[in-house]
Amino acid sequence: MTILRFYQRPSSLSIAFSSRHERSFSGSSELVTLTTRRNQCWRFSPLKSSNGSPLAGASWKDDGKEMPVPKVPDIGSQLAENTVSITVVGASGDLAKKKIFPALFALYYEGYLPQHFTVFGYARSKLTDEELRHTISTTLTCRVDKRENCSDKMEQFLQRCFYHSGQYGSEVDFCELDNKLKEKEDGKLANRLFYLSIPPNIFVDVVRGASRSASSPNGWTRFIVEKPFGRDSESSSELTRCLKMYLIEEQIFRIDHYLGKELVENLSVLRFANLVFEPLWSRNYIRNVQLIFSEDFGTEGRGGYFDHYGIIRDIMQNHLLQILALFAMETPVSLDGEDIRNEKVKVLRSMRVLKLDDVVVGQYKGHTKGGKSFPAYTDDPTVPKGSLTPTFAAASLFIDNARWDGVPFLMKAGKALHRRGAEIRVQFRHVPGNLYKRKFGTDLDKATNELVIRVQPNEAIYLKINNKVPGLSMRLDSSNLNLLYSERYPREIPDAYERLLLDAIEGERRLFIRSDELDAAWAIFSPLLRELEEKKVVPELYPYGSRGPVGAHYLAAKYNVRWGDLSDSS
Amino acid sequence: MAVSFPKCPSSPLPPLQTRNRAWSSPLSAPVQVGDSSKWALLEATKRCHLCVSATNGGSAVAPVEPSKKVQDSGTKTTPTDHSTKVENGIRPTVFSSNEFQDLKTGPDNSGRESTVSITVVGASGDLAKKKIFPALFALYYEGFLPKHFTIFGYARSKMTDSELREMVSRTLNCRIDQRENCDAKMEEFLKRCFYHSGQYDSEAHFVELDKKLKQHEGSRISNRLYYLSIPPNIFLDVVKCTSLAASSENGWTRVIVEKPFGRDAESSAALTRGLKQYLHEDQIFRIDHYLGKELVENLSVLRFSNLVFEPLWSRQYIRNVQIIFSEDFGTEGRGGYFDSYGIIRDIMQNHLLQIVALFAMETPTSLEAEDIRNEKVKVLRSMKTLEIDDVVIGQYKSHTRGGVVYPGYTDDKTVPNDSLTPTFAAAALFINNARWDGVPFLMKAGKALHTKRAEIRVQFRHVPGNLYKKCFGTDLDRATNELVIRVQPDEAIYLKINNKIPGLGMRLDRSNLNLHYAVRYSKEIPCAYERLLLDAIEGERRLFIRSDELDAAWALFTPLLKELEEKRIAPELYPYGSRGPVGAHYLAAKYNVRWGDLGAEH
Repeated sequence: MTILRFYQRPSSLSIAFSSRHERSFSGSSELVTLTTRRNQCWRFSPLKSSNGSPLAGASWKDDGKEMPVPKVPDIGSQLAENTVSITVVGASGDLAKKKIFPALFALYYEGYLPQHFTVFGYARSKLTDEELRHTISTTLTCRVDKRENCSDKMEQFLQRCFYHSGQYGSEVDFCELDNKLKEKEDGKLANRLFYLSIPPNIFVDVVRGASRSASSPNGWTRFIVEKPFGRDSESSSELTRCLKMYLIEEQIFRIDHYLGKELVENLSVLRFANLVFEPLWSRNYIRNVQLIFSEDFGTEGRGGYFDHYGIIRDIMQNHLLQILALFAMETPVSLDGEDIRNEKVKVLRSMRVLKLDDVVVGQYKGHTKGGKSFPAYTDDPTVPKGSLTPTFAAASLFIDNARWDGVPFLMKAGKALHRRGAEIRVQFRHVPGNLYKRKFGTDLDKATNELVIRVQPNEAIYLKINNKVPGLSMRLDSSNLNLLYSERYPREIPDAYERLLLDAIEGERRLFIRSDELDAAWAIFSPLLRELEEKKVVPELYPYGSRGPVGAHYLAAKYNVRWGDLSDSS
Repeated sequence: MAVSFPKCPSSPLPPLQTRNRAWSSPLSAPVQVGDSSKWALLEATKRCHLCVSATNGGSAVAPVEPSKKVQDSGTKTTPTDHSTKVENGIRPTVFSSNEFQDLKTGPDNSGRESTVSITVVGASGDLAKKKIFPALFALYYEGFLPKHFTIFGYARSKMTDSELREMVSRTLNCRIDQRENCDAKMEEFLKRCFYHSGQYDSEAHFVELDKKLKQHEGSRISNRLYYLSIPPNIFLDVVKCTSLAASSENGWTRVIVEKPFGRDAESSAALTRGLKQYLHEDQIFRIDHYLGKELVENLSVLRFSNLVFEPLWSRQYIRNVQIIFSEDFGTEGRGGYFDSYGIIRDIMQNHLLQIVALFAMETPTSLEAEDIRNEKVKVLRSMKTLEIDDVVIGQYKSHTRGGVVYPGYTDDKTVPNDSLTPTFAAAALFINNARWDGVPFLMKAGKALHTKRAEIRVQFRHVPGNLYKKCFGTDLDRATNELVIRVQPDEAIYLKINNKIPGLGMRLDRSNLNLHYAVRYSKEIPCAYERLLLDAIEGERRLFIRSDELDAAWALFTPLLKELEEKRIAPELYPYGSRGPVGAHYLAAKYNVRWGDLGAEH
């Protein structure tokens, strides 16, 4: 397969696609199309097709004119007429400003966007296009390693950005948006992507408005939604049910931005493209797996949303559980999105429902260090004084299948801890009948091999091995076989949002969460969450900036595990 | 319990207590009961036990039957029981159980100290000057030598003690990481160095040496180590004289010999037979300095103390193993010795084969020397005798580059003009046992190549049913995992893995999981000779080659060597400084192997 250079701006869209060819696991079959409509909003009931594109068919009437578009296959000529319109709903929000627009610009800068594209901001505030552009431009940056033509590029990008002000629940406003979109699309084959950067309570309104009034008449229409996907099994399936009134599964792109992280992407490569790891990847060799997430700051005055969800919903049930599923899944039939998601669902469904005994919850309290005082969670004015919401949780999970039976998967997530990081730690069993056991003291498990995949910061992979300290004596040492990304790959690693946006544009679903995955994920956590709330379980307090509640150690000890991130060597 | 050695102790530590090796912890391990009990019988009247053997019809010492081995440990010994045995090779004198105890527990428990006398035979030679004396000094500097020790140089040239010291001092240096008190230490060390001039085959001269040694040893328990840094043709003369005339009377006497151990199976066996007329197996320390290299030592640690490697260590996962040695210089006017041996004998049959044996052996019962050597012998004996079809030989020719003319091998004045001696060889070996059946072990050794390097490369099989095969082009074997253990230079271990190139595409890359010794361990890595000398002093035989190992090693190579010489096979010529003859690639290709050191990334 040809590998084209990435960061060269393609002169035409067809190159843009072939430069991504190496990851094109899904075909571009959905470009097979259809009818074009002009100047009219679509007002019928939800449309469905098997691939997220509007259905081919006679129902697509447009004041009597039907314009059959040739049924494709010649991608070259087709794509040249292709356009994508990306509408960021909730354009004035924080996520949009900090992540989405910059990610879009990075994709543009690197030449990944189709030759013709339009970016629309949609929100309630009254803004002009210029005002939007100004807002956006303050957060755009060029990748550190390529500053060439940055301001030119930025200017060009901003010229493609527009704003439309409207109510989230108003179909009429979306209809106006549709008119504007059409104008920009100018008769090209139109694909539309809506990024819902809005609170979950208006998800369904927007989806209704946008899908009814602003779906693409002749290309695909996709919706990216971000967590929270409900608060528990019931609310999540309710949300899914509502979304599905207007959308089919293939149109829904549930984003979990952790899945877009470089090292999470690399996890499958490590496992499946290296002979040396796969034989070890089971209960025969792996003693436990630890998934660790920590932030070194608290809610800092923005705890309103968080308080309603808590760390388990915010981090564990989605990000960490997704990583776990990727880590533990069986080899998929192929790298196709559906094949991978099938395997992930199998893992999730093999998991034991989490019990209260296997969870430790914590909440940070105020702490004064070096004359500086750090606030407690409940000091946050946006948090109720008596809040029992956990800002820290540790849990041990089990996958009751043939590969993982009995192997504890420990998760830990917390805010306001002593450092920031996300990592996967795989602790191997001790060497049976170790010839060197006298070198290791009494606890052989303290000197086992450990594979660490550090997702952030300072992406790295390392394998702890025992080796001899050079010299005349026979002292053993645990050292690392290392791969520090920053040394090997000096180029900046793209932000997770760039990858995910691009995937959504390309219809690559591998990194998005399917409804059944979501259901299975909630099924593991919902009973626990309900119990925590019903019983009003009080979180263990830990000081801001500390290593978290000691309860986490006892939880680990219960399953004969020692947290790898809190040992001396780390 | 770990006693590290970075700091030079203000006073040398007691012997044997400074090291911390599991298998040779002298404080806990009982003194071994050896098999030289016969000596005790000879003790009372004879000055030298082996003299008696000689007088007994001039025959060798009768082999000791296992049943005669005295089982007593020190505590059982009575003052009258002089047949007590102590550590292998130690010649007991009349001593009490107390004294016996001393040997076990070190010198501090009684009035009687032990001492070690190290005699470097061939003291004026190159190896002695460059390696042995500096290694001894380093051991002294680091506090690894016993408190009382004596070093003697022995050679034919007339020299005074101070001339020897002058000569030795020129090559001594302190480890780069510790320059403290270096001069003072050096001075102290040199004061313990003496010289004795004598013929290598003169018992009378060795008797004189013995007297001098006694003088230095005083009343201490004397242990004597002879380092034979001399040409192989006088090995036997020296061994005869030392053992007859200058063996220790109350401690051990050990002899270190270096390659060549013969030229083939027959001459090697003859040498062993000759040595054994005067020495026990336990007294012979056949040095292979490659076994003293840090990363070769580490090989066993890697294998046996890491769970992640052992499951992979078999034909099921390993596609081939490559053991590569290259030097970037030729014989440079010193080809006389080399020409009569050639690269196969000089490097392959010993250094590289020893590494293969260590690499491929089954898990030993323990880390005891005998257990490890038993396993190594098993590997060697399971190996298929090398055939000529599985060997490529080469010889370097002259080459002009950048105006500099590099000489051909036969341009060396010490080399016959029509020499067919290989300066390069590549060979494919096979171990016909359950673990390694069908896995090619490729060896390659050469002089005058483009780099200086010694490394072990383990190439793994490709991932069956690789999901990412579209990313790898047509030859899946080109993107397999590879474990590289670089012995020299720049000691390192790295595992090549496939991973994703960061970015929005899905391009795979082979990157390394790395351990660079220089980065992680800033201290200088000790020279192999230091380790081996210390092992010999401590009686640790793990890194020395036993007679049966040597026999098995020769058995593999002798038929080939004979054939090469009988058929006068002409080596493939390769330019000085090149990557060696291309024939090596074809040999590798025959077994579906690609040399890891000559890939695109190098």
